[in-house]
Amino acid sequence: MARKNTFARRTPTDIALHVWGIIVFIYLFVPIAVIIAYSFNNGKVLANFQDFGLGAYISGINNDVIISSVVTSLQAALGTAIVATIFGTLGGVALARARRGALWALGLTGLLGLTLVTPEIVDGISFLPWFVTVGVDWGVSPLNNGLVRLIISHAMFSMAIVTFIVRARLAGIDTRLEDAAADLGATPWNRFKDIILPIAAPGIFAGALMSFTVSLDNTILSSFVQQPGYTPWPVYIFSAVRVALRPEVAAISTLMFLLTLLALAFVAVVLRKTGGSSTEIIKTMAP
Amino acid sequence: MSTQTHPTTRSDASPNTGPNPKTGTPPKLGSKSDRFATRVFGAAAMSFPTWAYVLFFFIAPVALVVFYSFGYKPDQFTAVATDQLSFDRYPEAMSGAFVTTFFATLRISVLGTILCLLIALPFAYWLAIKVSPARRSLALALVMVPFWTNFLVRTLGWQIMLSPDGFLSNWMQGLGLLDAPLDILYTRTAVQIGVVYNYLPLMILPLFVAIDASGHKLREASYDLGAGKVTTFLKVTLPMAMPGVVSGCLLVFIPLNGDYVTATVLGGASGSMIGQLIANQFNTAQNWALGAAMAMILIIATLAVVGIGFALLWLGRTIAARINSVQLTDGRV
Repeated sequence: MARKNTFARRTPTDIALHVWGIIVFIYLFVPIAVIIAYSFNNGKVLANFQDFGLGAYISGINNDVIISSVVTSLQAALGTAIVATIFGTLGGVALARARRGALWALGLTGLLGLTLVTPEIVDGISFLPWFVTVGVDWGVSPLNNGLVRLIISHAMFSMAIVTFIVRARLAGIDTRLEDAAADLGATPWNRFKDIILPIAAPGIFAGALMSFTVSLDNTILSSFVQQPGYTPWPVYIFSAVRVALRPEVAAISTLMFLLTLLALAFVAVVLRKTGGSSTEIIKTMAP
Repeated sequence: MSTQTHPTTRSDASPNTGPNPKTGTPPKLGSKSDRFATRVFGAAAMSFPTWAYVLFFFIAPVALVVFYSFGYKPDQFTAVATDQLSFDRYPEAMSGAFVTTFFATLRISVLGTILCLLIALPFAYWLAIKVSPARRSLALALVMVPFWTNFLVRTLGWQIMLSPDGFLSNWMQGLGLLDAPLDILYTRTAVQIGVVYNYLPLMILPLFVAIDASGHKLREASYDLGAGKVTTFLKVTLPMAMPGVVSGCLLVFIPLNGDYVTATVLGGASGSMIGQLIANQFNTAQNWALGAAMAMILIIATLAVVGIGFALLWLGRTIAARINSVQLTDGRV
């Protein structure tokens, strides 16, 4: 009710804020609109619009290099989401249940915090020699696979996000719930499965989603750890920037954009069915 | 306090079923302290995989690079040697082009963070307070959409827009706003625009969450107690939003400082950032020791700026607290 009142009397400040909000939205969306518009460019160079057509879509979908890089990216993103979610959830649950001031918990929080404040370029140059040392010199051959390298490095990058989201989600819960379950004879695994997981689920879900996107977006780290045959999509684009950008890049990006929107809509529908509010989810996701 | 009612739970949960070894609590109290021990032991054990992952895939690789930064490049074909350790790479890194680029990067990052904050603060305030709750979910989702599209692709959108023979340039010339083609692409201004654009959602979200959490009731209370809009904003909303401001600034500044993709796309030759120089040492020059030293300098500088930021924040708070307390006593006397 009170909210309605403040909304009804529109002071100049309110009007200015509304205008500002709309301007920021335009700012946020203009480059995306430009890319979508230029994906219909039938010319040879992306930035030089010649005539309207679907040529870029057709040649993009038929371009094996582009398609394989998109597939690599999606595989890496999926793997990252799985790995980061498993390790991050374990870490988050453990931290949420830690005794106040426990050294291992402080240490883990500090280390994960450190991973968050480390610039991506430093992660990149660190992983490069490390993968060579462990994979080649020590002979741990799975680490020589390009996809494994992408997943491991991306998961490291987003593990802290998942851990902190899950911890935050569990921070408020009553530990007596678990005690009660234990009194009723639940085993630790059952307590984890039936109490912790359902409560943490929105956080875990948000974390998985975040790791997926972070991985899909990652350029700098990927360009260091990538192996021949496993070039992810952003790295492909970035190398194309230095040579010549063709409209195919815009066309495939537009397709991926549409796919993302569909996936998000699907997620929103699922969440609505399960009763979660999208605002709540977005709020859990914001660091 | 119950006695042993469910031995199964306890025996499979923890090897520690006897009296608490630290405090030597007698078994009678074991029921409670025992479960506590189980929980602590369980939590620590549960964190083990995450610990192991972070140690093996973060600490170890970074430690290796720190070690490399004390090495040197022995000859043209070897990237790094560490048989003689020295600090020589650090002064070598801090000379020549690196210093210029270093300060240019810091300027872009600090200015970028401030601009993001200035743009995002009114926007997040509007989103959290002025947009009706029914529309807020949609508005938030819209803020997230750019975040869900590849940031490199969005940067390409800016490249197309800012190019001298692009549509924006042509329109502006057609409207008479410009008498020469738009001359922004491949300048620092273009880099600044792109950087602010790319990191803006990272500033908006934590600010939104913080302002939203600051609560309508507190603001209403402030109005009821006779405070005006400005006072309410300065004394209720803004202080409550401070955690959001801090985490937003960190989220923008830290990755921005190491980013060089935006700068390469929009700044061309004039947009090289520290990240680019470090990458060059590893990719083209193959001088890992020098690159590692540059990376260490980048980390130290990033932490230093963050430290200065926190110090300024603390100073601001202390001063604000002092001013407020003075006003309060004046009002009463």
